Amino acid sequence: MLEAHSYLLGENALVVALHTDKPSPSEQRRLFALTVSLQHSNAFLDIVPAKASVTAYLADPSQYQYWLKKAMLLWQESEEVAFNVKTHHIEAIYGGEHGPDLIDVAQRLNLSAKQVVLQHSESTYQVEFLGFLPGFAYLGTLPKALQLPRKSTPRKQVPKGSVAIAEDLSAIYPSSSPGGWHLLAHCAHTLFDPTANPPSLFAPGDKVIFVPSKEGIC
Amino acid sequence: MLKVIKQGVMASIQDIGRFGYRHYGVCRSGALDPFAVCLANMLLDNPPHHAVIEITIGLAEFEFTQPCNFALTGGCLNAKLAGRSVYPGWRYYAHAGDRLTFATSAIAQRAYFAVQGSFALEPTLSSCSTDLQAGFGGHQGRALQSGDCLNYEPSPSALKPLGVKQPEYKKQVRVLKGPHCDKLPAGSFEQLVNGPWTISEASNRMGSRLNSKALLSHDVSIATQAVHPGVIQIPPSGEPIVLLNDCQTTGGYPIVATVIDADLRMFSQLSANQQCNFVECDLIQARKASDKLSAHLAQFRLAKNNN
Repeated sequence: MLEAHSYLLGENALVVALHTDKPSPSEQRRLFALTVSLQHSNAFLDIVPAKASVTAYLADPSQYQYWLKKAMLLWQESEEVAFNVKTHHIEAIYGGEHGPDLIDVAQRLNLSAKQVVLQHSESTYQVEFLGFLPGFAYLGTLPKALQLPRKSTPRKQVPKGSVAIAEDLSAIYPSSSPGGWHLLAHCAHTLFDPTANPPSLFAPGDKVIFVPSKEGIC
Repeated sequence: MLKVIKQGVMASIQDIGRFGYRHYGVCRSGALDPFAVCLANMLLDNPPHHAVIEITIGLAEFEFTQPCNFALTGGCLNAKLAGRSVYPGWRYYAHAGDRLTFATSAIAQRAYFAVQGSFALEPTLSSCSTDLQAGFGGHQGRALQSGDCLNYEPSPSALKPLGVKQPEYKKQVRVLKGPHCDKLPAGSFEQLVNGPWTISEASNRMGSRLNSKALLSHDVSIATQAVHPGVIQIPPSGEPIVLLNDCQTTGGYPIVATVIDADLRMFSQLSANQQCNFVECDLIQARKASDKLSAHLAQFRLAKNNN
C-alpha cells in the first residue's frame, strides 16, 4: 500500500499527503527532506510543510501534471537525511506572572510545578510547521505526562513571548494575540521580525530546547 | 501628498499580495481584487502590481495637497472629487486642495484608488501590502487613520480622460471539487453547489462565512495542512468559510472545494446578507477563466498604446 499520494488543491497548490494523520518521527523527517528537494527545484513560489503533508505552490501552474508525478518520485527517494538543522536554546522564566497557568497545569496533571518545568525543559522539540501567526511554530512532541486539552475559554490577549502547551504540542507566541493554550513561561527572544532576513527565528525542522531561567521556577 | 481626512470604515494599502513566506506563517494579504489593482495602475501607466488603497464599505475622505492624476476601480462607492461624481474604471485629475470622498453603496463593498507614479512606500518582505493581523507592511503596518499622509510625486499635467471596462462582479462563483469530499458526509459537495448561501456578518478579509437553512455539519477531523485564499473549509458547525487573503497559512478543517482564481475577486464585493451560489467547473475551465482575465489586461494595454 502506498504511504502517500499527491493531488492538486485548487489550480496551483501541489500537495503530497501521507495516508496517516499522525506521522511517525521518521515519516516527519522524510517530509522535511522532501521539502528541501522541492526547494532546490526552484519551481515553487511557496513550500509549506504541515502535520502530515507538504504543499508546494507552483510558479507555473501548467506544469502540474509533471509535478504530481515528480513530487511522488521525490517522496519515494527522500531519505531521512540530516539536512541543515538549527538548534535553538530558548531561556524561559517559568511560573508566576511569566507562566500564569503553571500551577493550574501542575494540579490538573497531579505533578508539582517543578516537575512540570523539568519535564517541559528536558525534551528536545522539533518545529513541525508554522502557522496561526507569522513565526508561530508548532513544537512537537510534548511529553505524554504534560498533555492536556486546550483551555475551554481562550484568553483574549496572550502576551508576546509566552511559552505555552496544548494537546501534544508546545509553542511560543511571537506576538500578542488571543489564544487558548496553557501558559507555562515567558521568553524574551524575538521570534518574528518582518525587517529581518529570514523574518522568522524558527524554520520547519529546527530543534528547540527550553532552558529554565533562575529568575523563575527551575 | 495625500492626506487622510476620514479613514471611513476601513482603508488600507494593498498590492497583489505577499508571496514566498507562507512557511513562516506569513499570510498573503493584498487586495481582495488583485485584478482591480492592475487595472487602476494601468490606467495611470504605473507598473500593474504597485500598491493602491483598498477602501472597504466607504465613508472615507482624502485631500490631495499637490496635483494628481488618479484612478478608481473596483465597486462603485459613490465617490466624488471636489463635489463631482467620479466612477470606477476611470482616471481623473485632481488639483491641489481637491478632496476625494467615498460614500457607501448597497451593492458594492470595496473600491481601489491608485495615484500616478504610485505612493512612496518601502516594501516589507517583498510586498507593500498591509498585514493587518501581524501589523507590518503598507503604511505603518495598520489600516489608514485620519491624519495619515502618503507621499506621491505631483503630476506635472492632467492626463486626458481614459476609462476601461471592468469585468462584471457576479454572485455566481465557480469552484473545483476539494480533496476531503470522500471524508465528509455524502452529498456535502453537492449541497454546497446547490446553494444558495448567504454571506454572514462575521465575514472579513480573513474569510467569508456562509449561512444557509441546511448546513454541512460533520465530525470529521483532518491533519492540519497548508491552506490558501480560495479554499472552502467546513468547520464542524457546517457553515462553510471561503478563505480570503488574510487567512492563516494552515488549517485543520476539511476542504470541500476551492474557488477558482479568476472568481475569487467576486468576494471583494459580496457584503453581509447578500447571496451567492457555487457552480462546479474543471481545471481546464478554471484556467480558461484566468486566461480571459489576462487577455482583458493585454487588450487594454494594446488599446491604450495605440491611442
